Amino acid sequence: MKQFEYYKPLSLKEAWELKKKIPGSLFIAGGTDVLVGIKNNEIHPPALISLRSIPGLNSIDTGEVTRIGALASISDIIQNPELREDFPVLVEAAKSLGSVQIRNVATIGGNLCNCSPCADMALPLLVMEAKVRLQTAKEKREIPIDEFFKGPGESCLASHEILTDILLEPPPKNTKAVFMKKGRVKMDLAVASVAVRLDMEGNKCLKACIAAGSVAPVPLRLSKVETVLEGATLTQKHTVKAQRLAEDNVIPITDIRSTEEYRRKMTGVLVKRAVERALEWSQA
Amino acid sequence: MTDFHHIGKKTSRPDGPDKAAGKAHYIHDLQRPGMLYGKIKFSDHPHARIKHIDTSKAKRLAGVRAVITANNTPEIRIGFLRDNFALKKDKVRQYRDEVAAVAAINLEIAKEAVELIQVEYEPLPGVFCPHEAMKGGSPLIHETDAQGRPRTDNMVPLKFHHESGDLEAGKRAAKYSVEGEFSTPMVQQCCMGTAGCIAEFDMNNNLTIWAKTQIPFLAQRDFNRALSDMGLPDKNARVIVPTLGGGFGSGLDTHAYEYIAILLAFQTGCPVKIVYTRDEEFANLSPRQSSTTKIIQGCDRNGKLTFREVEVLQDNGAYTSWGATYPSVMMMPATSLYRVSNVYFNARLVYTNNTYCQAMRGYGNPEHTWALESNMDELAQEAGIDPFEFRMLNRNESDETTPMGLKVSTCGLKECLETVARKLDWKKKRAKDKRTGKGMASLIHVGGGARIYRSDASGLILKLDDFGNVNVYHGGVEMGQGLHSVLSLAVAEALGVRPEKVLINPTDTGTCPWDVGTHASRGAFMACNTAILAANKLRSQIFELAEELFPKEVEKNLKKFIKKNPGYTPPDFNVPKASKRERFELRDGFVFIKDGPQEPWLRIELGRLLRAIHFRSQGQMLTTEVFYDPPNELPDFERGFGNISSTYAYGAQGAEVEVDTETGEVKILRMVAAHDVGRVLDPQALKGQIYGALAQGVGYALYEKLESQQGKILNHNFRDYKIPTVQEMNFPIDLEFIETNDSYGPFGAKGVAEPGLVPTAPAIANAIYDAVGVRIRDLPITPEKILAALKQLKQTK
Amino acid sequence: MEPGMKIEISFILNGSEVKVSVHSHHRLIDVLREQLGQTGTKEGCGEGECGACTVIIDGLAVNSCLYPALEVEGKSVTTIEGLQGPKNELSVIQQAFVEQGAIQCGFCTPGMIMSAKALLDSTSDPSEEDIRDALLGNLCRCTGYVQIVEAVKKAAAQLKGKQ
Repeated sequence: MKQFEYYKPLSLKEAWELKKKIPGSLFIAGGTDVLVGIKNNEIHPPALISLRSIPGLNSIDTGEVTRIGALASISDIIQNPELREDFPVLVEAAKSLGSVQIRNVATIGGNLCNCSPCADMALPLLVMEAKVRLQTAKEKREIPIDEFFKGPGESCLASHEILTDILLEPPPKNTKAVFMKKGRVKMDLAVASVAVRLDMEGNKCLKACIAAGSVAPVPLRLSKVETVLEGATLTQKHTVKAQRLAEDNVIPITDIRSTEEYRRKMTGVLVKRAVERALEWSQA
Repeated sequence: MTDFHHIGKKTSRPDGPDKAAGKAHYIHDLQRPGMLYGKIKFSDHPHARIKHIDTSKAKRLAGVRAVITANNTPEIRIGFLRDNFALKKDKVRQYRDEVAAVAAINLEIAKEAVELIQVEYEPLPGVFCPHEAMKGGSPLIHETDAQGRPRTDNMVPLKFHHESGDLEAGKRAAKYSVEGEFSTPMVQQCCMGTAGCIAEFDMNNNLTIWAKTQIPFLAQRDFNRALSDMGLPDKNARVIVPTLGGGFGSGLDTHAYEYIAILLAFQTGCPVKIVYTRDEEFANLSPRQSSTTKIIQGCDRNGKLTFREVEVLQDNGAYTSWGATYPSVMMMPATSLYRVSNVYFNARLVYTNNTYCQAMRGYGNPEHTWALESNMDELAQEAGIDPFEFRMLNRNESDETTPMGLKVSTCGLKECLETVARKLDWKKKRAKDKRTGKGMASLIHVGGGARIYRSDASGLILKLDDFGNVNVYHGGVEMGQGLHSVLSLAVAEALGVRPEKVLINPTDTGTCPWDVGTHASRGAFMACNTAILAANKLRSQIFELAEELFPKEVEKNLKKFIKKNPGYTPPDFNVPKASKRERFELRDGFVFIKDGPQEPWLRIELGRLLRAIHFRSQGQMLTTEVFYDPPNELPDFERGFGNISSTYAYGAQGAEVEVDTETGEVKILRMVAAHDVGRVLDPQALKGQIYGALAQGVGYALYEKLESQQGKILNHNFRDYKIPTVQEMNFPIDLEFIETNDSYGPFGAKGVAEPGLVPTAPAIANAIYDAVGVRIRDLPITPEKILAALKQLKQTK
Repeated sequence: MEPGMKIEISFILNGSEVKVSVHSHHRLIDVLREQLGQTGTKEGCGEGECGACTVIIDGLAVNSCLYPALEVEGKSVTTIEGLQGPKNELSVIQQAFVEQGAIQCGFCTPGMIMSAKALLDSTSDPSEEDIRDALLGNLCRCTGYVQIVEAVKKAAAQLKGKQ
């Protein structure tokens, strides 16, 4: 077992002070990624600064803007009635993450900050065009979520920055968004995953947002695919084209979980199916 | 149909409550006073000379009590070919080679100390593929054999060969034949409770070792030999088996870590515990051997098999353990699944720098049945015959002797195949959706022990006490399969007591009679057969002594009864005259006269009778021992002949699947299984065995593979080695037991621990072919492979 | 805080308050097994994949191998040892596992039972899908899960009947 100090600050201010005081220390939320990383000798922080005891960080508020505290657990998200109503795609993705035990402890902020190319929570937030609020002792900034991910395991967070909130604008009434994930078995990291959001007016697509996971260094918006759908009156021709374009616009790798070719193909299939489902749903 | 009191009835296993309460104690939970914790340093290279091991920093770390290497300990050779060592001295031949070990006062210090050990290596070129390893000029994994004689190649000196009939004639007689090459990967046993042991010497230098083993007595033999190597030739190893978190074959050999714990315990004079973490278990414990099989089968125009030709090549890994003897079991389906008189079987094994492998459930049978049963479907198609009809046409039957000399007493294959076909609605018209399909496969396995060693015996002691308890001492190992449950039922049934009065003692070489090991599905077969023999002996003794003592106890009883029931007139019945040994019965813990009056005072509680036997002048205590070696033979595996078991368990499984042709994913809609079990002894435990084995079969078929690259295991955790979860097993399993009532089996039963996973993979593969027309010959059948095969199929059309 | 220093924590374990000094890097499973002698909770993988270490904290099933000991301060923890009744009798769920043959080697059993308990404490009439979802994070290599799912269904029916 690797040794480290463990602090439980009661305020963000205290958290920043600890971070300044202990070089190399890491912020930790649910810990389901960080603790495994320490166990496997991938990271060696001298100290962990837990954000779990800071009040307000795990609350979920709906209003003009939906604010999800970064420390809201994946289970909190699944059970929140307003999120189920207004952002079902987020709840779908949350349900696919890990197991009950993991979901009870893992947080949405932690999932994002881990910056895995297959981060389950990233895709719905990308297509719902969420913003994230990042704070240091000195400043607060809000950036679109697609600027958050820089590379595998690398976010845009500055060293003392804490992701405190995820902010979502209420989508138009005709928005339908779908999340799909494929793993080797039911409880798995994604071999391929997509989220598709369509704002429809009859058969006309006013807006399309499509994101794919596990097929690039970061969770990716597939803008070329979106362009094909946006503004068009959607037919099967479009879904087929979307599938092909999705295949062509991702850069998966072969690793022990799957092959580059399979991931590419699956992204295409999932995009096609997600678009079809979103369409079906919007016409229901 | 015999009416049993306990056999075949629903029963809860006696160890269930403790396990449900978290009160069962596994190796992980055991502590000994003054215990130290051991950790092992494994090799950083798959093939290298060890130039220097620097343990100085590790030794100096506070809390470290010993650091050992091959340089400061006596050489201990292990493995049945004696080609392995507890600690490696001159070179390492695989990534998991044990180079050094530490004992410390706690686990954290032990881990830190291991990291402080520095080893200087001179890397050598490695070879990771059997074909490469067979080539001239390939690096030699072992430069000498166990006797020190120089070796010139990497072939393992084991021969597995069978020829029967006339292969060429069989080929000529065939109108149709199909050839195929099949492979299976390394997969891991994945016991939920990892491997470990605690070794402890007493001040007389006798060793006690609590071990996660399935072979306590063969382990004792191995450890005694090690003690001799350590300069303790007259000392003894006592092997005690605690509650095990699974086995599945992983405990069928002794392991380097056990010898290392022994060496550390000896050096420190303290008990030493070594337990593998999950990562260590995946990377450093021997998995199931991989296999490649070339098979050709042919049939005449009517569909009768005329020949079968099999060539097997195994990657033996760096050292030899039971994975190397899989071909001895492969020979069984190769020669004896279905009737075929012209058979050729040959197997070769090659050393490589990959991890060496050991036993795992099925032991070569799943590997071979994968090839054989897939090929059978291909041949059926070639011949234009329905796969079910094809199997029925060639099925084995009772009372036949197979080309290998297996004497099949009872054979339920016909019923099993018919049951599977019926349950799968086989004859019903198939949906032409090109997505769903049905497939089946059958199996043969040993069901009456398996003589793979000089002895296939097992002993059992029944010790009666003053309270009517039956204390059982048996060397078989309970690893979750329900051995203790079925044994208590067998003793209860055979002796005539209630199962709750049967108390099974821990498996301990110090107290239990010898048993070769809990493998080859022999556990219940042997335990229950010995229980019946011992119980019968005890019954004779009890009834003989009862002739004198029963009437006396009855008289006391009657007096009490009359006192309580004044006015009662006992029936006219001469108790002393009726008290003859052949007229007694013992049932539910009461001794009574078989055809006597049903009066309560005529039933004497067993404990009371035993006390009467004990507490008198020249009294006795009743204990009996039996030692049973079943009527089977140690085959000559070089000739491929010998009746290895006293009876054989047949079976069949079927699958209905749906293939998503866009993603290649296979969804099992349902499975059916019909197993020839002889007799159901413990229904719940038997179902559990089949369901569990079938789940392992599903994992083998669709999900599991140890990824090894240049000798290194890449997926050494559950994140990337996927076993079926409760969701993958979310389909109905329609299970039926066919009772063929075999005369060799206890109450007619056959051993059924392994059959559940033998035909699963080919049944699924055959269903996939039926669904979408692709034949995958290399496990696991992943979506990637299916998609690639579908693409190729489309292109060839 | 100084490196290597131990910190005292206090929490409710199976209904009783406990106080124990822990190292900052300890996990809840270490405290339970090593310091409090509650060995019913098992470590199967140490990475949150197998669920053998499942305990219930404030009503939620969690993997104790990934739960920092210091986070349990003030919380209510239930382990397998806390399920027996006042006369040491098995709880309904445990009894159902025993009776349905849901236990073979038993190593996954405590974790499996805790996950089932967390489900049944919050859902009185779970569907089969609910049960499988609740047990997804509990691996079993022996049983094939069939009798486990049957046991949970039986326990659910019995508990519902008792209400």
